[in-house]
Amino acid sequence: MWLLRDSVFIGVLEASPLILAAMGFTLIYYLNGFINFAYGESITYGAYFAALFNVSFGIGFYWSIVPAALLAGGLSVATYLFLFRPAFKRGVKPTEMIILSIGLSFMLRYGLILIVGAENIYLSEPPVAYFNFLGVGATNLQLIALVLVLVFAFNLYWIIYRTGFGEVIRALANNEQLAMVSGINPHKVSVSVWFIAGVAGGLSGVFSGIFALANPLMGWNVILITIMVCIVAGVGSVRGALVASVVAGILTAAITLVSKPLYAEVILLSAFVFVLWYRGRRLT
Amino acid sequence: MAYLIFSISLLLIYMGLAQLLHVQFGMLGIPNFGVVGFWGFGMYGVAVFNVQFGWPFLFALVITCLLVAILAYGLGMLILRLEGQAILCATLAFSAIVTLLVITEKWLTFGVVGLGTIQYPVRIGAATEIIYFMLLLLIIGSFQLAINKLHQSRLGRLTIAIRDNEELAASLGKDTFKTKLILFTLTSCLMGMLGGLSAPLNQFLTPNMLVPGVTFAVWIALVLGGKENTFGAMLGVFITFGLFDILVETYLPVSPEYAVMVPNFKLFLYGAVLVAVLVYRPAGILNNRQAHTRWPNADLS
Repeated sequence: MWLLRDSVFIGVLEASPLILAAMGFTLIYYLNGFINFAYGESITYGAYFAALFNVSFGIGFYWSIVPAALLAGGLSVATYLFLFRPAFKRGVKPTEMIILSIGLSFMLRYGLILIVGAENIYLSEPPVAYFNFLGVGATNLQLIALVLVLVFAFNLYWIIYRTGFGEVIRALANNEQLAMVSGINPHKVSVSVWFIAGVAGGLSGVFSGIFALANPLMGWNVILITIMVCIVAGVGSVRGALVASVVAGILTAAITLVSKPLYAEVILLSAFVFVLWYRGRRLT
Repeated sequence: MAYLIFSISLLLIYMGLAQLLHVQFGMLGIPNFGVVGFWGFGMYGVAVFNVQFGWPFLFALVITCLLVAILAYGLGMLILRLEGQAILCATLAFSAIVTLLVITEKWLTFGVVGLGTIQYPVRIGAATEIIYFMLLLLIIGSFQLAINKLHQSRLGRLTIAIRDNEELAASLGKDTFKTKLILFTLTSCLMGMLGGLSAPLNQFLTPNMLVPGVTFAVWIALVLGGKENTFGAMLGVFITFGLFDILVETYLPVSPEYAVMVPNFKLFLYGAVLVAVLVYRPAGILNNRQAHTRWPNADLS
């Protein structure tokens, strides 16, 4: 019983970066239909932009979140405009698009290491306070991250499923020609989707930064789990991404509590391969 | 001189991996991003059997190859019916699992401490390295011959048909899944063998040898040279591994304070080259888009 209670509690708290990353990733996957490995770099750069404002410019932690998220969104739009859109126009196939995104991700990651070095950067955090709930502790930062994630997730959910803009996104993802005939500008919509996704990735990076630190490999380390969560959740389902990332967080916490954190990753990744197989079997 | 032989031997290993990936992706259209998983499993398998259990090298190599084949067969059964993107993610997950297990299973692999020393199977004084290099050259040469034969055979035609339109090939009564599974198992097993053969080259193994960078180096070589041609893949290895790893890292005079940045710069360039080639020359720098129409007729007898 304690295991269930603790793992749900820790899982939900620690899943917040994953929830953000998965929701952003799934938007791009939904709209453009390819797996964007370079999205991991939105996460890394989010944390580094926060570190730039927080550590180098000495701005307060909470204030540095805003420009960091916006810059991460801008980076995501730039990758779309300068690389992925021209590649789409040249008719690069989905598998080659993935390889392209991996190439870009290498460029961005090691470019960052060349500029700032491979060492960890510690964000200067506001004073940490501990709260106690039914015998399990949480810090104020974790709670703030959770609240911010919930607000962001709710807004995104609202935009996708309840507004005209969300309808436009869904129309474009389902049938681009038909959407264009009905007067939708695919370019404008794509740019905004890549921006929102980048902001989500950047926020995810900032909050991973709180729990640990900013490291050039942090995005790469979580991108595989993020992709896994999104594929298991179903293509383009923001709802599904939310649920699947919470479940992944709880599972990780439960396995970590009874054994090692690395085993949690092994079990999740193996489960992922089996889910893929099960889906494929159902289709044929 | 000894270091040069070591580097060139490693270059040959990468060439072999690129040739096998050419069969998997260039001929069958299977985007295997778990190259480092099969290669690393082979390398660690031989090391564990040889050092921990004290088995003779050749016996360890054979058993490891069998294990890799079983593993590849199981993975292939699970994923080869899926579409390309799913195969890519699943194989990447597989290689991540292999690396994680090498780190966690300390009782077998010594984890991050490292496992060694793996001796050469035969020791003939100073000539050992050169003889081993010749052996590798022989293996890569026979891979090349086998792949050339495959290109000219009916099986080779079938693989191209599967790559270009699997439904069509299946509708003509070909068992496409079985063909893919058998060739995937065989080539992955050979990747494991190359891993096993690189164990005595490296002598001392640590988990940070099993980084995704290995997979990408081979992929970049394949994309750079053109996936439809083995010579392209081998040329790609010369450019990536030969130019960056051997020439720049070893022989370029770099001051010590910049030397630590060279590997990072290399990986940055890998990424840049991959992006540039995919955007500007999608068929590789040799650019023989029509390669498969120029092949001679298959021998039907």
